[in-house]
Amino acid sequence: MSDSTPLLHLSGITKRFEGIRAVSNVNLKVFPGDFLTIFGPNGAGKTTLLRIIASLTQPTVGHIEFSEENVNKGRAQVGYVSHQSFLYNELTGFENLEFYGNLYDFREPRTRASEMLIKMGLEKVGQRLVREYSRGMKQRLTLARALLHAPSLLLLDEPYTGLDQHGSRLLTSILRNVKEEGSTVILITHNLREGLELCSRAVIQHRGELILEASSDELEISHFENVYLQMVGD
Amino acid sequence: MLRQLVLIWVVAVKDLTIEYRSRQAFLNILFFALLILIIFNFAFDPGSRATHEAAPGILWVALLFPGVIQLGRSFQMETEEGTLQGIMLSSIDRGVLFLGKFFANWIFLVLIDLFILVAFIVFFNFSFSVQLGWVVLLIMVVSIGFTAVGTIFSAMVSSIRTREVLLPILLFPILVPIILAAVNGTQEVLIREETQFLVQWIELVIAFDVIFLASGFLVFDYVVGD
Repeated sequence: MSDSTPLLHLSGITKRFEGIRAVSNVNLKVFPGDFLTIFGPNGAGKTTLLRIIASLTQPTVGHIEFSEENVNKGRAQVGYVSHQSFLYNELTGFENLEFYGNLYDFREPRTRASEMLIKMGLEKVGQRLVREYSRGMKQRLTLARALLHAPSLLLLDEPYTGLDQHGSRLLTSILRNVKEEGSTVILITHNLREGLELCSRAVIQHRGELILEASSDELEISHFENVYLQMVGD
Repeated sequence: MLRQLVLIWVVAVKDLTIEYRSRQAFLNILFFALLILIIFNFAFDPGSRATHEAAPGILWVALLFPGVIQLGRSFQMETEEGTLQGIMLSSIDRGVLFLGKFFANWIFLVLIDLFILVAFIVFFNFSFSVQLGWVVLLIMVVSIGFTAVGTIFSAMVSSIRTREVLLPILLFPILVPIILAAVNGTQEVLIREETQFLVQWIELVIAFDVIFLASGFLVFDYVVGD
């Protein structure tokens, strides 16, 4: 995998907020088909790093190369699931997807919206307002919104937060399908079990820096847990 | 070009659909405007000449102050679930986003303003005459400039905690030229019942509209940027 050209190449990425370093000198290559999980405690800078990759915020220092295009051109190639859903509560699930489909220049945004609702198992509630959705349904719709334009890179920021066991299992099965379809995924989480279940590579971020990178053969959970606790210390 | 027009329409329809489904906001804003009219109606002697002459100013206070609430809401709805970031992730031109938001706000404000105008006529004993057509025209052109500036500043302050206070403070100093034109134009039509300088006031408002619509289109990328 590492022989191919990276889909994403981060070089010396640093982000400061009023003197505080949220992300510190991050160098990272992500290859097509990678499922990379970034672990780290709260405040490690994971979300900031993901927002930089999504080009929702600019790094203070460093640069990003994305599929041989500059980051602004690459923006539409990214699907992003954040802490916020990016959904309108007063629109139906279908209307939300249709709206985003129009923004992404689909010829048939309504057809694409219907396809995504079926894919996420939401076809029966597609005409209901999003504010009536359960947490799990909303999270699946959020994922449908992020995958709507078939992005080359899917960014997931703590997607399991607030989901019950059934919702978590459903999300894992959807992400497994996404992985099998060959999409490139970056997942951030502080939950080791959920994070390791699907990933092919893992990194640990602590105090803004990437302090460890592990390949698939080093991802046995108890071993990784020991390493994580030693390095992060909590 | 056609694609850009479609996107302006898509953004505007989305905003108007949300406004329609949360009708409570429409009613609250309308109620606020009616309260302003009622307070002025009670504060001044209804039959006096002074009240009659101050009426155009009162009308524009009742139109503009509730309008600020609506403009503030316009981007507040985009920050609640982070939808502005969702839009920014797409390839939509930021100027097109501005025009879509502007168009929805303008339709919404003109609709509210027409209700307020009817209430104003009733409260201040004006008659439904041909002259009112000029006032409606003034409302429509003044609302363009008001909405254009308001949409820019609403986006600018949307992530600030004190946005409700900040928005009118930023907005009204810039609106001085069109407020003057609106009040003087309305006074000419409703009180003096002539249209001698009305065209000049409308021309001034249109120039203001063009400047701020073009500015919003051009600078919106910086306004909603990082």
